[in-house]
Amino acid sequence: MVQFLQQLINGLSIGSVYALMAVGYSLVYSIMNFSNFAHGGVIMLGAYFGFFGLTLLKLPFAVAFLLASFGTLLVAIIVERIAYKPLRERKAPFLYFIISAMGASILLENLVIATIGPTFRTYPEVFPKTPIELGPLAIGRLDLIIFVISAVSLSFLIFFIDKTKLGKAIQAASYNVKACALMGVNTDKVILTVFGLGGFLAGIAGVFFGMKYTVYPQIGNITTKSFIAAVFGGLGSLPGAVLGSVLLGIIETFVAGYLSSQFRDLIAFVILIAVLVLRPTGIMGKVTEDKA
Amino acid sequence: MKKVLFAALAVALVLAGCGGGGDSNVIKVGWLGALTGDQAVWGENELNTVKMLFEEYNAAGGIEVGGKKYQFEVIGYDNKGDAQESVNVTKRLTGQDKVVAIIGPNASGNAIPMAPILEQAKVPDIATVATNPKVTVQDGKVKPYNFRVCFIDPYQGAVAAGFAYDKLNARTAAVLYDVSDDYSQGLREFFKINFEKKGGTIVADESFNSGDVDFRPQLSKIKAANPDVIFMPYFFKEVALSANQARDLGINATLLGGDGWPSDQLISMGGKAVEGSYFVNHLDYADPAVQDFKSRYKAKYGKETELNGFLAHDAVLVFVEGLKKAGKPNGEAIAKALEGIDVQGITGRIHISPETHNPEGKDAAILKIVNGQYIFQEKYAAQ
Amino acid sequence: MDWTYIQGILMLAGINMIAVLGLSLLTGFTGLFSFGHAGFMAIGAYVGAWISASPASTPAGMGLPFILAIVGGGAAAGVVSYFIGRISLNLKGDYFCIATLGFGEAIRLIFNNVNRFGGARGWPGVPSNSSFLAILIADIVAVLFLANLVKSRHGRNMIAVREEELAAQIAGIDVFRSKMTSLVISAVYAGVAGVFFAHYMTFIQPKMFSLTKSTELTIIVIFGGLGSISGSVLGALVLTALPEVLRAFEIWRLVFYGAAVILIMVSRPKGLMGGLELTPSGIRKWTAERNALRQAKATLLAEDSGRKED
Repeated sequence: MVQFLQQLINGLSIGSVYALMAVGYSLVYSIMNFSNFAHGGVIMLGAYFGFFGLTLLKLPFAVAFLLASFGTLLVAIIVERIAYKPLRERKAPFLYFIISAMGASILLENLVIATIGPTFRTYPEVFPKTPIELGPLAIGRLDLIIFVISAVSLSFLIFFIDKTKLGKAIQAASYNVKACALMGVNTDKVILTVFGLGGFLAGIAGVFFGMKYTVYPQIGNITTKSFIAAVFGGLGSLPGAVLGSVLLGIIETFVAGYLSSQFRDLIAFVILIAVLVLRPTGIMGKVTEDKA
Repeated sequence: MKKVLFAALAVALVLAGCGGGGDSNVIKVGWLGALTGDQAVWGENELNTVKMLFEEYNAAGGIEVGGKKYQFEVIGYDNKGDAQESVNVTKRLTGQDKVVAIIGPNASGNAIPMAPILEQAKVPDIATVATNPKVTVQDGKVKPYNFRVCFIDPYQGAVAAGFAYDKLNARTAAVLYDVSDDYSQGLREFFKINFEKKGGTIVADESFNSGDVDFRPQLSKIKAANPDVIFMPYFFKEVALSANQARDLGINATLLGGDGWPSDQLISMGGKAVEGSYFVNHLDYADPAVQDFKSRYKAKYGKETELNGFLAHDAVLVFVEGLKKAGKPNGEAIAKALEGIDVQGITGRIHISPETHNPEGKDAAILKIVNGQYIFQEKYAAQ
Repeated sequence: MDWTYIQGILMLAGINMIAVLGLSLLTGFTGLFSFGHAGFMAIGAYVGAWISASPASTPAGMGLPFILAIVGGGAAAGVVSYFIGRISLNLKGDYFCIATLGFGEAIRLIFNNVNRFGGARGWPGVPSNSSFLAILIADIVAVLFLANLVKSRHGRNMIAVREEELAAQIAGIDVFRSKMTSLVISAVYAGVAGVFFAHYMTFIQPKMFSLTKSTELTIIVIFGGLGSISGSVLGALVLTALPEVLRAFEIWRLVFYGAAVILIMVSRPKGLMGGLELTPSGIRKWTAERNALRQAKATLLAEDSGRKED
């Protein structure tokens, strides 16, 4: 029983990291209908921004945190302008966006290796790392903080999308970009906002990832998992992304804990595919019609 | 087809532009390893070391080979830690750059596919920390142009198992390893075999995948099995992360590892979690023999050398001895000269066996982490 | 300039080309996007190694001729892809893509755990059978087969599925079957490429067939131009050679590689070949046009000089 509860805590903790990363993915997907593979690279930069804010500039945590989030917001917008906007204007099929995104992801990772170097770096201790002990169970303090901050930023995001005018425009665009443009919405502005928000979330994810684990140029690779989680939950749906992430975290943990850690990812993939076969658009995915 | 040929020609022309002319009293030495990708930390360190040493030789007027003074040129290429790129680079070094010998790589999976190319080009390679037995010997036959300056996985696994059983009096052990990494799988295999042969029990055998950062599911399972020691045969980033997480979960077992451990990063990231842990290493950092190299490296590059630097250093020493013994800058002659060569390196005495091309009888050092320092325990040879 | 080095890169490009041509059928002609083709390459590589490696080596093989390895490796990949297709071909867009990613990774994970095939430590001692000539012949066969296929009824059905799935269905095309044919053939191509790769490297490791390899193949297909066989051929040559050409930039080379990918997508949104085709008939047409032009010019010139003489 103790082990079961501990594994559940482990699973939730892993899932919450996936969730932070998956939301940015899903947000962009909901408007653009393509998987933004550059998101992982932006998250990685966020981790570095936060790290240098804390160590090099010796900023207080809150300032470093904001610096990282706004830094990645800017990066995400730059990536959009350079790698996607020209494609958007030409109405290129989604495959081209994906390849362009992959190019951006390769570029960002190797840019960091070439300039900052390949070594890993450790965040200074902002929050005490010792876990809270509940009898035989251990809950990471950082896990709780991550949970709170993710919840806060996600509710802000949902508030923004539901209540503000720009948010409404985003919602409208996610149904149909063309119709939305015809209704007089500046879709370019909407898309920029979405990338900015995605970048902002990537910064948050990066800083927390760096604090919880470490900072290194290949952080982006982990986001493959959050991409899977987003698909699992249903692409384009923010609650779906969160749900998918938490489920993936728990499934992985229980497979490793009770079945076989050697075959963990294999079994996780089998479950993923089983879910997709039963529900071809994930658990909460929006149904998109094939466009001509 | 026309277009294909045209493209091929275009590629060839661009490549040709990169090659330079040779000078008769300059010896070209190749290096390959990862300068990008997740292995880049070690690759950068090795290339820095190799460059520094040959610059020193050049500054001292070069080396006399067969009655003639030679200068050196180091040509180093990135292979991303990728086997396919290793093949490309080996072809480039041997075919286009015409090096007389190659130093590196560190990863066994990158070194193994080089063998047929080296044989064809008759250029020897001295691997640094490629510890898979199959780097130099395949199906009982030694590969004529592959050498190395480090001990091999079966030996390292046996040392770790023997030390755990005999010196730490461990009777139960858990293993956590990286299932998608050849180095990790190799050490785990030989640790298990030897620990069980001694009479110990493996109570948990768990794995993760390269790129993972959270090991708590596996560690929670290991905790329930309550082992005396946990063997962690992987690299320091994962070691620091898994050690921290193990301590968070309240695991107090002694941690034990291999030569993927040593690094300043391990101490700064692992902190208290790795205190009191043991690992098998190629050398003792406090050994007077290595101090000079350590300080020269630090003076030149402004940071500490990683473990790979020491072995790259010895690979260069072995090469230079081989070159002198061969008496001419010729790959085939150097390969012949390397067989049976006996060099006092900074990581120990290196006697390259003609049968296996491994440094026979090189002892492993056991180090313990005490107060954030690597404290030498003993030289330990597995039986 | 050294031939061994150039030849090595051309051979790798030739091997990649086989896999890319297969993927081009799936992605370029049928409109399905796969992230799992490295998995099919892995199956081909391992089965091929198993068939041709000497029984005396470890891991032991069967010591059979190379041609059987090619057939066996391709067939094995095809069979596996059939079962994968049964499960996943009804999924749409990114969902299909993620399912293939899952399968590709799953295949790699299985090989990591199978000690019979060397596990993660890999399989050294695969015979070095991939000669330049063998790869060249395989490439020519692969191109000719694909060119004929896309012109056949099956190929036209696939293109119809790509263009408008619903309409294709209404027109009486068995969409699922078209997709399946396309997937199985592309997997056979990938499997054969895997066999050649194993016998070129003489050493295989599950690591070589990671997600990165799958995305690399997809990048080449799209870089070359969707729905263009000659584009895939060119793409394989250019992109396999590119990281080598960029060596002069040292640690910056992958930065330039990434930038080059973005640049070509942004500046040539249809890929390198952009819908153009260099099939024999295409060249004939092109040369015929050129000849006509030249003749016209010649007659004009003749008329011109004739006029002068007058």
